[in-house]
Amino acid sequence: MENKAVREIFPRDAKKSYGLVELMKGASPIVRKEPEDTVYTWPNLIMIELICALLVTAALILLVQFEHAPLRSLADPSTTPNPMRAPWYFLGLQEILVYFDPWYAGVVLPGMIIVGLMIFPYVDTNPKGVGYYTYSERKFAVFNYSFGFALWWITIVIGTYLRGLDWQWYWPWSDKLAHMNPALVTLVPLHIVFVNLLHVSKDVAKGFCDIIFLGYFAVGMLIPYFFMRKFYDSMGAGRYITFMIFFLSMMGVGLKIILRLLFNIKYIVVTPWINV
Amino acid sequence: MLEKMKEKVVQTQLFKSVFRHGYPDNELNQAYVVFSNIFLHIHPVKVRRSALRMRYTFCLGGITLFLFIMLAVTGIWLMFYYTPYTGLAYKNIKDIQFVIFGGNLMRDLHRFAAHGMVLFVWLHMTRVFLTGAYKAPREFNWVVGVVLLVNTLILSWTGYLLPWDQLAYWAVTVGTKMASYTPFIGQNGPWGAQLGVNPTNDLMFMMIGGTVVGQNALIRFYVLHCVVLPLVVTVFLAVHFWRIRKDGFSGPL
Amino acid sequence: MSIVADQSQNNDSGVLGPTEQGRRKFMLAAGWGVVGATLAGSTFAAYKYLFPPILYEPPTVFKIGHVTEYGLGVDERWKLKGRFWVVRNMRGIYNMISICRHLGCTPNWFPDQKRFRCPCHGSIYDVHGNVRGGPAPRTLWRGQITKDPVDGALVVNTVIRLDPNPAQTPQGLWVKEKVKEVNPFWLEHAPPAGGSCSSNRLLC
Ligand code: HEM
Ligand code: FES
Repeated sequence: MENKAVREIFPRDAKKSYGLVELMKGASPIVRKEPEDTVYTWPNLIMIELICALLVTAALILLVQFEHAPLRSLADPSTTPNPMRAPWYFLGLQEILVYFDPWYAGVVLPGMIIVGLMIFPYVDTNPKGVGYYTYSERKFAVFNYSFGFALWWITIVIGTYLRGLDWQWYWPWSDKLAHMNPALVTLVPLHIVFVNLLHVSKDVAKGFCDIIFLGYFAVGMLIPYFFMRKFYDSMGAGRYITFMIFFLSMMGVGLKIILRLLFNIKYIVVTPWINV
Repeated sequence: MLEKMKEKVVQTQLFKSVFRHGYPDNELNQAYVVFSNIFLHIHPVKVRRSALRMRYTFCLGGITLFLFIMLAVTGIWLMFYYTPYTGLAYKNIKDIQFVIFGGNLMRDLHRFAAHGMVLFVWLHMTRVFLTGAYKAPREFNWVVGVVLLVNTLILSWTGYLLPWDQLAYWAVTVGTKMASYTPFIGQNGPWGAQLGVNPTNDLMFMMIGGTVVGQNALIRFYVLHCVVLPLVVTVFLAVHFWRIRKDGFSGPL
Repeated sequence: MSIVADQSQNNDSGVLGPTEQGRRKFMLAAGWGVVGATLAGSTFAAYKYLFPPILYEPPTVFKIGHVTEYGLGVDERWKLKGRFWVVRNMRGIYNMISICRHLGCTPNWFPDQKRFRCPCHGSIYDVHGNVRGGPAPRTLWRGQITKDPVDGALVVNTVIRLDPNPAQTPQGLWVKEKVKEVNPFWLEHAPPAGGSCSSNRLLC
């Protein structure tokens, strides 16, 4: 079509900043696209949207025939329902609060999730994969999103199905009405584990923990720098550092949850001001 | 017969004054109806045929928008009977649920549409992510989207307090207590106490207007939930849609 | 009057003289300065507006009767009205605020386990308020407890609270009893007749 399209050459008028470029045959103002490609929004798209809206309404009206909005007893500061479950979309947050101190789980981490989501377009330098579903062309980006998404949904599932009285861990087959014995769950900071295992003093053990913590970030930062040079170069230093801080924190959250669930570790680092 | 009536109606001065074009059954009027109508003009006049296939957007953003509108409508109905006063709120909700005709339906719809909106906003974000629609030149609209996501969650949370039942009370007690752990500006946060932050001047106090969740918290959350946040969402939605048109749609639309 | 006023300074080429340029720069800076000051002022006012200087909150001072009305161990009778527990041990009496130090839920007392346990995220405390498990970052608050000088009844004030720094120990977060058994958060008193702490050695 491109070749056939030009009918006449219109000389440019030197005094004018605009000019006629070419005349094309077609039924639509869209250039260089097959004109048959388009249809009118009304009624084609509008009808789809209308049907969508009707379906959603129908589904909701159907749903409320079986389920009703919950209403518990009047607010009472002296008694908390046991267990107290947040609405499902906050259960991830509630579950994370078990593993981290509130300043981190309740403030810094949600903040990092929000900021991390916002900066994603600015650190993802891969130009491929716009406008269609693809995994193979942007494996790493999809992996990152899925990892965060999975973390969020797994904690929601844990909060919904695996937490019971006193917010303890209950398997689906455990007795949900019996309070579990708290003697079974003693949490210790990592440095106490070292004190007991290696018979070193508390301060030395704390030093170990600090080194492990900082080492995790340092090694994490350096590995791609040395061994995945392409990855580093494609981002540049600023993007790389920003991205890695978020990436390593996200992975760290997963690691800490595992440490807690398997080894009852309460904190990795303990300082006079903050514990992580 | 119907056709004739339609012809007549379309010719009246009233109809013309409102719509400025005939019934959209020919191409000219089909174009007019979209670009001369304030609500429809967020669409382009024509879309590619492939855009009618649902397997790209799954209409997720559209459903989110629809649920938001539904929440506004059902919310207004609820407001006719609701008083943001700790002594009445719970009773009002009970009345709405058990006494007022249709109140039950409005409350249930409002609650489940809220759950639905949170769910669909996540799904919509996932779709946008998986189709790479956040990449240049659409980075900023993704940021606007995240703002909408956060606002949606805060809307749910503020609305959660209004029934003044046990769920409401404790979700908000816990949620605002979390704010008291904010570094520097929370009474319990790292470096908070060192900076002289105490229960009467910290972030949590500002949120609930007191030291415990009570009347001040209820009225604050009510105002945020019914006025401030819906307005904020509306403004950001306007930007969101404007940017979709300006940046171009990523997919086959 | 507008910023383009002083024509005399303009020469033919339309370039502004140095005085005029300086004046414009100054006006621009002053304009933005006023905008900034207005914004800063209204932000500060808005911030102040959100902090009510008067509060109508539930009472925080309770007259709870005489020591002899309380037996050994944890007494829950004030939990509903005052949100605190009264604990009597072999040496005296104190009270603890029934607000979880994690995020403010109300823990439950389990006499059989001798533990307070929180239904929100699973914090566990013993009768001293030390943290035995869960995410709580500090020990339970002790409220002020004094004797009414007139009739000798106990008076609890729940806003005056004792909150010492806990130590990390293998058992959990710990504050020595000595640190907490101080005026006005503790009253010494002989144990009730026939009282024995064999059921819970922490009461000794
Ligand atoms: C109140 C919540 C929201 C509403 C009502 C909404 C609505 C919409 C609608 C109707 C579209 C058109 C395409 C579609 O249906 O998928 C759209 C596109 C888009 N949305 Fe949202 N959205 C919301 C939240 C979000 C969030 C949370 C994000 C991401 C963080 C986001 C990012 C985008 C982007 C980047 C586009 C352009 C997509 C493209 O060009 O393919 N939006 N939104
Ligand atoms: S509020 Fe008690 S454990 Fe979180």
